[in-house]
Amino acid sequence: MAKWLRDRVAAVWPPTAALLGLLALLEIAVALGWTPITIPAPSGVAMEFGQSGADLAYHIVPSILATVAGLAIAAALAAILAGIGASWRRANGPVMTFGVLVDSTPLIAVAPILIVFVGGGMTLHIIVSATACFFPLLIGMTRGFRAVEGTADELFHVLAASRWQRLVKLALPSALPYIFSGFKIAAPLAVLGTLIAEWMGAERGVGIMMIYAMFSFNAPQVWMTIVAVCLMAIGGYGAFALVERIYLRWAGLEEAPT
Amino acid sequence: MTGIDIRGVTKRFDLDGRSLTALDGIDLSVPEGSFAALIGPSGCGKSTLLRLIADVFAPSEGAIAVGGRPPKAARLNHEIGFVFQAATLLPWRTVRENVALPIEIAGVTPRRSPEALIRLVGLQGFEEAKPAQLSGGMQQRVAIARALVLEPKVLLMDEPFGALDEITRQRMNVELLRIWRESGTTAILVTHTISEAVFMADRVHVLSANPGRVAGVVDVDLPRPRSIDLMKSPRFNALENAVRQVLFDDDETEADSTPERAHG
Repeated sequence: MAKWLRDRVAAVWPPTAALLGLLALLEIAVALGWTPITIPAPSGVAMEFGQSGADLAYHIVPSILATVAGLAIAAALAAILAGIGASWRRANGPVMTFGVLVDSTPLIAVAPILIVFVGGGMTLHIIVSATACFFPLLIGMTRGFRAVEGTADELFHVLAASRWQRLVKLALPSALPYIFSGFKIAAPLAVLGTLIAEWMGAERGVGIMMIYAMFSFNAPQVWMTIVAVCLMAIGGYGAFALVERIYLRWAGLEEAPT
Repeated sequence: MTGIDIRGVTKRFDLDGRSLTALDGIDLSVPEGSFAALIGPSGCGKSTLLRLIADVFAPSEGAIAVGGRPPKAARLNHEIGFVFQAATLLPWRTVRENVALPIEIAGVTPRRSPEALIRLVGLQGFEEAKPAQLSGGMQQRVAIARALVLEPKVLLMDEPFGALDEITRQRMNVELLRIWRESGTTAILVTHTISEAVFMADRVHVLSANPGRVAGVVDVDLPRPRSIDLMKSPRFNALENAVRQVLFDDDETEADSTPERAHG
């Protein structure tokens, strides 16, 4: 236990120290008046968390909901399309083309058009969030569904396994490491998608809070919302990284080559 | 009754629109309960033949009978055990769960428990270990236990110990013979080692390459049970030489007929 703790501390302290050092430098630079007024002191941003914390909580809840919903919808859609592409080889080309098309869609330009159809509410936020994170999920699942080793496939054939047994006992466990990799990349993208959509229009949301703060020249509040969005993205990544690590350790597998 | 009969089997594969004949007119039979070895150079289609018997592929021409029935019936009836060159264990399952996989898939209650099979291959105490914690030889033992857990009438092995070092390999072969005698199945072993073929089999079928044909058959009349000491006997060496003769005779006639390859 003591060794584990020492290893943890050894791994964590250099980046932590570097970050704290940078923040201290920034604090000094602001105090000496070296920076433009758009850059507040880190202490100011921290104080803003104290003052506007309740406000932030009010705005961040629907943002988290939209992100989670967008991620879930994108994952379901990616699973269906990757499943079609994996079981029907000719469909794979069109599926990938569709994925690239979705991925290359400029969200900033498309979101205002979408408003015309679905309005500026939660529906818009979820759609844009799902669009933003769709592609890495599709790639992860497509690769995952093909991760079954050739001889393992033959083994299940010789054992006369049903399609369902193959899926549950072989394909899904083999695919999970790749799917987790997809989710780790997709989660921060979903956060970004939600943010962009909320800029376009929202009653509640960390994105619209950011816009209000910008228009009222409240620099500490702008930076508070930026930090909050970063934490959301890191949280999403971290959650999937944790689930992945638990699964890989349980399954006795190495991390999937990405 | 569960002997294996192969009559006039030809297998062609389509490769980039070209037809490639992997096996050409194979006639071969393995009596029930006996141990056969298939030996030949790489590309002679010995692994393909094994997969035809296991109903992984269907022959292009000819017929295969496993216990008088088509391979598909034997496969669906869980009468075939297959051991691959790589152990092909599921890494997320423990040794016990890997050995129990065929039971789960077939949905039957076998006469012998997975634990009994794990004991048979000498891995007691490792039931809860994951494959990654085992050596290559131990992993292959798990694969053999898995292949035998449903007491298949036919045990097919595709160079099961090919990746192991010589010492481990000979030890595994002695154990495999013991396990085979206990289980009483009909066994076919694909190998490219002459001594292994002679040591294990009642009959060695020698295949030639391009396309795969039966070049000859060597009957091994060595007494059982066999031990490593047997390999020092003159009779063993004579049988090895007989197999070698068929293998390389065939090679020479081929070289004669295609001189450009002999020089190249």
